Amino acid sequence: MKVSYFETGRYVSPPDLPREWPVPAGSYNPETGAEAYRGMVERVRFVEELGFDWVSVSEHHYSPRILTPSPVVSAAYLAARVDKIKIAMLGPIVPVSNPIRVAEEVAMLDTMAPGRIVVGLLRGTTNEYLSYDLNPKESRERTDEGMELILKAWTEPQPFGWQGRYFQYRTVSVWPRPQSQPHPPTYALGTSAEAGEFAARHRLGIGLSYGTFELMAKSANYYREQCARYGWEPGPDDIIYRANMILAETDDAAEEALRRRDRQAPFPIRGGLRDALLQSDTTRNIAGERRPANVGGVLPISFCGGPDRVVEQLRQCREEVGAGVVDLSLQDPGTGNLAGMMHALELFGKKVLPRIRDL
Amino acid sequence: MSKKAPIVAQTQDGLNSEAPGAAFRECFIEVDGFRIRYMEAGQGTPLVHLHGAGGMRLTPGHDLLSRHCRVIAFEMPGFGSSPENTRTRTMAELAATMATAVSNLGIDNFNLMGTSFGGKVALWLAVQQPERVEALVLEAPAAIRPTGSEPPSGSPEEMARRLYAHPERLSALPVPDPAVQAKTRALVARLRGPDRDADLESRMRRLPTPTLVLFGTLDRVIPPEMGRFYKELLPNCHLVFVYDAGHAIGTERPEAFTEVTLDFLERREAFVVSRTKTVIHP
Repeated sequence: MKVSYFETGRYVSPPDLPREWPVPAGSYNPETGAEAYRGMVERVRFVEELGFDWVSVSEHHYSPRILTPSPVVSAAYLAARVDKIKIAMLGPIVPVSNPIRVAEEVAMLDTMAPGRIVVGLLRGTTNEYLSYDLNPKESRERTDEGMELILKAWTEPQPFGWQGRYFQYRTVSVWPRPQSQPHPPTYALGTSAEAGEFAARHRLGIGLSYGTFELMAKSANYYREQCARYGWEPGPDDIIYRANMILAETDDAAEEALRRRDRQAPFPIRGGLRDALLQSDTTRNIAGERRPANVGGVLPISFCGGPDRVVEQLRQCREEVGAGVVDLSLQDPGTGNLAGMMHALELFGKKVLPRIRDL
Repeated sequence: MSKKAPIVAQTQDGLNSEAPGAAFRECFIEVDGFRIRYMEAGQGTPLVHLHGAGGMRLTPGHDLLSRHCRVIAFEMPGFGSSPENTRTRTMAELAATMATAVSNLGIDNFNLMGTSFGGKVALWLAVQQPERVEALVLEAPAAIRPTGSEPPSGSPEEMARRLYAHPERLSALPVPDPAVQAKTRALVARLRGPDRDADLESRMRRLPTPTLVLFGTLDRVIPPEMGRFYKELLPNCHLVFVYDAGHAIGTERPEAFTEVTLDFLERREAFVVSRTKTVIHP
């Protein structure tokens, strides 16, 4: 099993920071922000030393919860400062992106850091569409088309035009082409039937996140079925599971931390807006089974315990979901106990990581 | 060429309520001893269309094109209701016959569009008479094929699965007349030529005609990757992928097909320069 550390740009918020999304830009503190980004490098060097395989970065907007609106900038920043660890851009959010720009930037990164870039393409959660004014009802189709176009831009050797539904280009011919051929390891991120089918059709991996093992297994099984339909079998590295983990020296200490955990989202969306978003996005599903959209809710803890118990839970995850890569947060993004997180990372690196390699 | 009408198949004027091609009138022309049927609609610059191996089938794309130009869709001799064609021996011969058909309509210069098998005929016509063809549009052309590829065959359902990306969104294909099917199959087998036609390809390298090659991203008859060969061979070629369309682009994504086709026919190479307005509130 491979392990990825989810780096979110830890902005340590003062207690008096407004707690509603979008968080006013005027309340941003430049010093705190600069420290958050310096800390990214320190943390990634730390997990690299501990033997983590990947660091992942994501795309989120308008709050300090995850201070990385541009995953490409995050990836480039880290790629220049660490040497071995792979950098997984588990963004960009495709429906709000220019797909050609994404193709070009990833190809640049893959050339600058050959063999070290991993890419996840996703639809993103509904609230993210407010940032760039996207109609949520168009997000599914824009995602599918955008992903298709990104793959075509990486692989088509001749200049071409694209006559899409949501994207139209008359001239596409990206330079550089990706260093990895045909393209760097790429995942469709999402639990939906659409993501599973797309990934299978293009021989991509799939990235699942935060759901229970049972639900994620349902999604992973759907993906595997689709892969079989397209005549191939995914390997363990083709399934990523992103999840929160509370790891402590003992099970009791972890349970206690779980009890103390804030039950409210750090920067919730106002009720009326939340309802409007939910009403505008009704196509979310897990392997085809309808599910409500997640709009700024608290994300669950999937792994909790001392090292022994967590190893067992990871084994269960490997067996039930089939995930060969776990992408972990050892503390909720947007919360400020950095020392506690570093301790948990160290504990994971020393007491858990060596025992899950062969899972 | 008129650019007045919007390119939308779902309109208030009932376009979509009738079968595709309802506005076309049936005509015939005598050529080389063949009585060739054709369907015509629209005004303006002539756009000659040569159909695929399944025969002439007017699509919503034809309807939309006919609002902006004079569309002449030929039924090539030996296809459809025409008598069996045992005389035409090669694609080059068929192309020469079709060029004469256009001449016999009193048309010197014209835009030429070929679909699949008809794309190969259109290429042969263009290399034979480049001075007459103003611009060439190849819809999922079958002039360059992967080794061993076969034209679609089988039941209407099997055909639909090959021709369309989303057969479930379209009305069922008609059950073919076995006699028509048999004579067409023999003709296509005789004329389609090798998967890579060295003679044609060497001529393509010298063809100056502005050419637009369209492939659906989900083409299950000719892989869209074949598009790159046209781009390599033809000196003035533009390759455009039509997203989420199969082999029959004009049927599945008529608005997208028509917009790019008309823009290319109107502006040729300049069609790569966007005229899309992005002002929201002037």
